[in-house]
Amino acid sequence: MTLLGLAARNVLRNKVRATLTVLGVAISVLTFVLLRTVVGAWTAAADFAVKDRVVTRHKVTFVMTLPRRYVDDVRNAPHIRAATWANWFGGKDPKHESEFFATLAGDSKTFFTVYDDMKVDKETLERFQQDPQGAIVGDVLAKKMGWKAGDKVLLASSIYAKEGDWEFRIAGTYTATQKSVDRSTFVFHWTYLNDGVSIPGLKDQVGWIVSRVDDPSQAATIGVTLDKLFDDKEVQTLSQDERSFNSSFLASVSAILTAFDIISVVILAIMALLLGNTIAMGVRERTTEYGVLKAIGFRNGHIVLFIVGESTFVGLLGGLVGVLASYPIVERGLGRFLEENMGAFFPFFRINPLAALFAFVLALMLGATAAAIPALTASRLRPIEALRRVA
Amino acid sequence: MTAAETKAETKAESKAEAAEVLISVRGVVKTYERGGETLRVLDGLDLDVKKGAFEALMGPSGSGKSTLLNLIAGLDRPTAGTITVGGKRIDELGESALAKWRGDTIGFVFQSFNLLPVLTALENVTLPLLLTRVAAKEREARATTALRIVGLEDRLHHYPRQLSGGQEQRVAIARAIVNDPALIVADEPTGDLDRKSAEDVLSLLERLNKQLGKTIVMVTHDPAAAERASIVRRLDKGQLQ
Ligand SMILES: Nc1ncnc2c1ncn2[C@@H]1O[C@H](COP(=O)(O)OP(=O)(O)OP(=O)(O)O)[C@@H](O)[C@H]1O
Ligand SMILES: [Mg+2]
Repeated sequence: MTLLGLAARNVLRNKVRATLTVLGVAISVLTFVLLRTVVGAWTAAADFAVKDRVVTRHKVTFVMTLPRRYVDDVRNAPHIRAATWANWFGGKDPKHESEFFATLAGDSKTFFTVYDDMKVDKETLERFQQDPQGAIVGDVLAKKMGWKAGDKVLLASSIYAKEGDWEFRIAGTYTATQKSVDRSTFVFHWTYLNDGVSIPGLKDQVGWIVSRVDDPSQAATIGVTLDKLFDDKEVQTLSQDERSFNSSFLASVSAILTAFDIISVVILAIMALLLGNTIAMGVRERTTEYGVLKAIGFRNGHIVLFIVGESTFVGLLGGLVGVLASYPIVERGLGRFLEENMGAFFPFFRINPLAALFAFVLALMLGATAAAIPALTASRLRPIEALRRVA
Repeated sequence: MTAAETKAETKAESKAEAAEVLISVRGVVKTYERGGETLRVLDGLDLDVKKGAFEALMGPSGSGKSTLLNLIAGLDRPTAGTITVGGKRIDELGESALAKWRGDTIGFVFQSFNLLPVLTALENVTLPLLLTRVAAKEREARATTALRIVGLEDRLHHYPRQLSGGQEQRVAIARAIVNDPALIVADEPTGDLDRKSAEDVLSLLERLNKQLGKTIVMVTHDPAAAERASIVRRLDKGQLQ
């Protein structure tokens, strides 16, 4: 038996209370890890952005479109190696209304050259380019929907309404070269969209233009030069390197991210209070025992060690349970669900081991600090006072 | 060992150590402040306890018996006066030095046993040794010996709740002697026990005194308990009578 062994024994003394407290800590740690994972998943998109890509969009908002001929102007600008464009289609499978996936109308010749982190093999690409109604879909989406090459797919669009559904033929799938790429996107011919729209205002319009530049370090400057081209035209543009583009999306959800940050701190604070209360309760019940220990020669520091050790032990157990539980929940359940169903927002929803480690260490540290006040109070009690408490 | 032998031995011991004083209390005053009033519990008290003595402290409730015992054991400090134990002025020691001194010098026996419920008998007895440099194996061996002395070698792994009151108090006594302290202080050690268990505990204390030469100061209300002691002192009105 050691001094810390005694601390551990005290934790297990009241089994119900110990279990509830450990569970409380575990749930806090779990929630903290989940929140950090959400924040991490959203920021990952910005972090993994391809650095030599510049996105040009409507100056006001990326919901508004640009004239198709702007693409040629961009292509002719200096430092631009290649350019393509795409439109949000807002497609949905009428038979599976609840399935959400991104649908893009892109230029069949250049889309996969510029977005080369979406990997398509040569035959698939050729099949796609030769079929005006062809579509290439992410492997994750294809698997989930059970689509195979040659399958006919009907989609309805929330943006490009038309009588009856849009009809596509699956040419094949793309895979991702990095984990930040959404593997649930549906890509088809822009020309098919453009030929099919009936409303004149929607004709010959593109959602955004993406170009690859010859010098990634100059991406920001090149973007400014591009925007100058359209300064005097009827629609002004905003060009950003992809990282900033993603960040501007992040900025639009930054209030949520901040809320998540605050919530995760609040959760930890609640956890510390919960732990502190449990420890204080136990310490109060054991005042006489600490009096006895002091009487037989234990010093203030020993008493602090007992109580802090006890609390740290609870933090350790709770932290361990919380972190261990978060892995199956995220990796098996939630993460897979979000990647498959909300891939556009969470292309990569996995636990950051650092966040898990951080939560665990934090649980330990909070365990230690939560006990600080009861530990100091108990240690400063004079032994005869402590002994008199029950008598 | 026969009763006659025991007596003979005691005489020999008390003669040999007649001159050696273990505890020396001089002019000790202890006052408490209570609701603006000063309560003078001990009033210029003098006391000498010889090494190897078994002293009983009696007196009416509230006369300050526990107060005096706590002062001798270094649990409390006098308002005035000096307390010397084994040649050391303990009224001058700092908080932490005093705690260490208690651990080295005093064995405590309380009225309500005060064992830690989460620890077995053996672990409770090992507790004081955790503060020493004694190795783990040796700690256990010594604690086992102490429990054998109090007659509980067959209860090593019992928890306090699995023991009778008398057995609990014997474990507490084992805890008090495991460090081989110079002085055992006991505040009404039989107060919570039935007659039979009380007899057992008193016999044990007597044996520790006579066979192992332990100095014992015991506070008690029980005349039968006081009878076991070699000296009985009475405390009243802040003075020893
Ligand atoms: N911390 C304290 N504050 C105020 N008064 C105290 C304190 N401790 C003891 N007293 C008072 O000092 C007096 C002596 O108390 P003490 O406990 O020494 O008596 P006692 O002789 O041991 O009595 P008993 O036989 O009932 O145990 C009592 O009147 C008690 O109320
Ligand atoms: Mg008393």
